[in-house]
Amino acid sequence: MLTLEVVEMELPLTALREGESGVITSIRASFGWGKGGGYGLQKRLMDMGLTPGTKITVVKSAPFHGPIEINVRGYRLAIGRGMAEKILVEVQK
Amino acid sequence: MTEKKLKIALAGNANVGKSVIFNQLTGLHQHIGNWPGKTVEKAEGTLHFKGYTIDIIDLPGIYSLSTFSLEEIVSREYIVDEKPDLVINVVDASALERNLFFTLQLMELETPLIIALNQIDMAEKKGIKIDLKRLGEKLGVSVVPTIAIKGKGIYELLEKAVEVIEKGAAKPSAISYGEEIEERIRRLTEALGKIRLKYPARWTAIKLLEGDEQVKKEIYDLSPEILQVAENLAREIEEIHGHPCPTVVVSERYEVAGKIAREVQQILPRIKPQLGERLHEVTIHNILGYPIMILIFLGIFNVIFMLGGYMSEILNGLLYGYEPLFENLFGLNPLKEIIWGGIMEGVIANITIALPYIIPFYLILYVLEDSGYLARAAFLTDTLMHKMGLHGKAFIPLMLGYGCNVPACLGCRIMETERERLLAGFVVTLIPCAARTTVILGLVGSFLGLHWALTLYAINLIIVFLLGKLAFKVLPGEPTALIMEMPDYRLPHFKTVIKQTWFRLEEFLKISFPLIILSGLIIKFMEIFNLLEPISRFLSPVTVTWLGLPEITGVTLIFGILRKELTLVILATLLGTTNFQEALTPLQMFVFTLVVMLYVPCVATIAACIKEFGWKKAAIISLLEIILTISVGGLAYRILAILNLLEH
Repeated sequence: MLTLEVVEMELPLTALREGESGVITSIRASFGWGKGGGYGLQKRLMDMGLTPGTKITVVKSAPFHGPIEINVRGYRLAIGRGMAEKILVEVQK
Repeated sequence: MTEKKLKIALAGNANVGKSVIFNQLTGLHQHIGNWPGKTVEKAEGTLHFKGYTIDIIDLPGIYSLSTFSLEEIVSREYIVDEKPDLVINVVDASALERNLFFTLQLMELETPLIIALNQIDMAEKKGIKIDLKRLGEKLGVSVVPTIAIKGKGIYELLEKAVEVIEKGAAKPSAISYGEEIEERIRRLTEALGKIRLKYPARWTAIKLLEGDEQVKKEIYDLSPEILQVAENLAREIEEIHGHPCPTVVVSERYEVAGKIAREVQQILPRIKPQLGERLHEVTIHNILGYPIMILIFLGIFNVIFMLGGYMSEILNGLLYGYEPLFENLFGLNPLKEIIWGGIMEGVIANITIALPYIIPFYLILYVLEDSGYLARAAFLTDTLMHKMGLHGKAFIPLMLGYGCNVPACLGCRIMETERERLLAGFVVTLIPCAARTTVILGLVGSFLGLHWALTLYAINLIIVFLLGKLAFKVLPGEPTALIMEMPDYRLPHFKTVIKQTWFRLEEFLKISFPLIILSGLIIKFMEIFNLLEPISRFLSPVTVTWLGLPEITGVTLIFGILRKELTLVILATLLGTTNFQEALTPLQMFVFTLVVMLYVPCVATIAACIKEFGWKKAAIISLLEIILTISVGGLAYRILAILNLLEH
């Protein structure tokens, strides 16, 4: 018997191929009330709509370790690869 | 009859057509300056409407009211301190959710508000239909639909704005967060009630829970105990949700924005992809994207240099045609020398550089920016820019630098943080501008061959990358990362482009004009009092002994600070010939050009640096470049001499 198995995996955003979607679980970096370091960029990502639970779709993954273009909340956002590696997403396969 | 005065601010995300609305409203009555003490552009304008004199302030395009960038700080301080009669929130109808996230923050700031729902035509093309009435009801704010680029809805917007102010604009109702957060906001707001605040108490409480650095600092100065309370409450929220408190607050706000957006908009599936969509795909294509970009920029530089060179020559001839007139007027005496050589030549220099090169340069730049292409170029060059510790957006000022370092320096404002701006500014001043290209091609290119000229450009690029990387390591602060909206392609608004160009030109002239004239005068006096030769002699340990150049080059390098291409002009004058082979060995030509390429930013660029980064940093940048040049020049001289690649 073949059972349909839903495997949920947590991956960095960079592991997604073009056209694939995932739901943000967390942004992996020191970020919290009063922790200071890394606050600015994390906050920036959140302000742009990348909050946990948000569905994002990779539109374009540039070659040569380039940035990643995603579709989030109905618009296009480009994120540097270093930053994208810190964004963890859950993919349903 | 005195007219009543009103103050209205335009606020909204970047790329929503805010500046177009600003232009439509204020027409020619605009003034562009800087926010006091900040290198953030401040655009103001006035208009008269129904018996009112209305001052319009165009706040910078931002996505949030936190303290990530200078623009955000400036905007929120303006709204809090200046208390405009009304804020018009320009909202892009085609990205409603993200735009509403900002709207909600304006509402939390308790400022009177109406919404200009802009680009509804573009939204419709994307299949998005918005129920305006419902949106207004949900937010408790008036909504006026506009298509700013076509001037549609502008009058209605103004009418509504005045109507709302006359009725005594009601402050919008705040949104509610989850009960566990609301309770803590309430407790914190209560605690804050005991101290005098310039911000609304609820907003301050929310910002404290959001971990806003600036608000935290301000509250700490007023009452460290309250900060302690905030910290405890934030920790409680973290424990409940399992996420950092700022994440929880921002997530909930976005949830509200998303809920409203879903309720008021209807998204219909599109039949076929839009032209803009296809253009987007091609211009960031893995393979096609790069040649397209290179072709675009080569094309632009070609046009600017050809057109600029041609116009520059005509203007030069025309303006120098007045020299005999001056001779007749003042006779051949020192007075004529000072007035002509000191002042008029400075004026001519400004006119012949500014008009032919800077104007087309800015025009094309703004067309590229407003159309959305620059965001694609930044996307494509992000990897390259990371090699020098910057990110994709820095490509734009860097590219500007090849035309002229002054706009490039000012263009560093595109970077978000002060650290990134300074880094980009430093790198940009090392880029060989059009004037330096004249020397590189005129001396090395024509006497030693194009391959030697290209070698210089290569050396320059290596230095730029190495120094950029080094500066990146030395400067404290966060590493940079690209986080950039990729706006839809659209047709630029011609009038807005022209105006942006005009203001940039004005800014350029204000910076360069006085300095070029002043330094021209100083050099003229030095010449009249025969100070140039002693100075050359004084510089000779560096120029002659270390760099292996003839003594007279010392003078030319002094003139070069004024304008880099003068190094070559003065050299020809002093030698009495443009056949530089007679006076310089090939090795000397190479070393001389290398030095000219790097040795110090020209006065106008130094002025731009002072304006952007302050005296101290401008001085450090200049000094660093002098030291760099002396080291690199001396090394190049010795290495090339040993290798015997160039005749010496």
